[in-house]
Amino acid sequence: MNSVYSSWSNIFIAHVKRDILTNSRSLIDMISIVGFMILIIILFPLGLGPIQEKLNIVSNAVIWVGLILAIMPSLEKLLQKDFENGWLDQIATSPIPLEIVMLSKGISYWLFILIPLIITSPIFAILLDMDLKNIPWLVISISAGSLAISLIGLSGSALILGARRGNILLPILIIPLMTPILIFGVGVNEAININESPYGNLFLLLALTLVYLVISPFISALLVRIAIGR
Amino acid sequence: MLYLKDLTIQRGNKIVFSNFNAVIRSGYTTLIKGKNGSGKSTLLRAIAGFTPLEKGTIKQDKKDIFENNEEWVENLIFLDTKNGLSKDLTVAENLNAWLTMKGWSSNKEIIKMALKSVGMEKYAELYISQCSEGLKKRAALSRLYISFINKVDFWILDEPTNELDTASLVLFKKLVFNFLEQKGTIIIASHDQTIIEKNFYTLDLDELKNQRVS
Repeated sequence: MNSVYSSWSNIFIAHVKRDILTNSRSLIDMISIVGFMILIIILFPLGLGPIQEKLNIVSNAVIWVGLILAIMPSLEKLLQKDFENGWLDQIATSPIPLEIVMLSKGISYWLFILIPLIITSPIFAILLDMDLKNIPWLVISISAGSLAISLIGLSGSALILGARRGNILLPILIIPLMTPILIFGVGVNEAININESPYGNLFLLLALTLVYLVISPFISALLVRIAIGR
Repeated sequence: MLYLKDLTIQRGNKIVFSNFNAVIRSGYTTLIKGKNGSGKSTLLRAIAGFTPLEKGTIKQDKKDIFENNEEWVENLIFLDTKNGLSKDLTVAENLNAWLTMKGWSSNKEIIKMALKSVGMEKYAELYISQCSEGLKKRAALSRLYISFINKVDFWILDEPTNELDTASLVLFKKLVFNFLEQKGTIIIASHDQTIIEKNFYTLDLDELKNQRVS
């Protein structure tokens, strides 16, 4: 039994490695996510006008909304590329269950967006004049929340496989699912702002992330099976 | 032996197969023939376990391939007109990713030998985005060589020779010959009836379907 599990983990890691390698070759996706977020974060204060208090109220939410909007274009390509070049057919012949393969896809996408986000979110926080004591909590909540967002995105990406105009459909379908993540993610820093404990919101955020960690691979695998069965 | 029993397969609203029966013999090449749109690819995808059946069963000896799917696909190499190569990776990286995804060991030596078997050793570091269609097909066919290192029982190939030149066709035939030598089973859908020379029989979809109707 032991050897079975070790080979499962090896295959899992092989899937993650391959996805990270492919993603690292098309860095334009990573740049576009960060670039899009920078645009939102620059435009927002300009739109708000010169009163600083206004900015303090919304800065936290702007980063989260910016994140959700910025990853939309890359989400639609998450599985689409592999569907078109036939890799999804090949991974259906992998000896590990498709659910585990989908989990590896979610994790590798998370690692791919997480690195630029962790580096840039403190800079965004300073740009938006956030209090310095909020920054570590922002990084923690974004790290956890982005995993949930990646997993929801993965299911959404599987849902639009082979659909025409999927890029328009995708945000409409998955942004509603992301609202709880947004609420609790923003809540972590809101609690700090009113000198309350942030743990309540953070734990709810983590709980939601765990829920998606369990259900998203199953939903995605089911949808991928339908897509390759057509 | 692979028993296809009472297969009914639907694609969209169109019924491609209804109550279709066939047997795929082990240790032989089954050449699937049929005009365009007769369902060659659909049948191959069903045998690989991708396309769900409306009705009927596909059994390998006694085991249903849909119920024991992971066991079935483990010793199977599936290759269709989409090659499953990422254009962002090189030829060697693609093969390495495929090997590790299948849970097989991979090292430089194995990759070198596999690429050599299809005459691709010079192109190992070439990105797929820079490859011609013929080179892509050869890069995908290099996976077949792995059957001689690991346990592989089945090849399911959809139009494997369309883009190949004469020299690579010879190499492909050599791979097929060696695989049949070690009692492997091959299912090929192709218009070109000359690619296999011995140990083969044809399955004409047009004929078989007409028999059902009459």
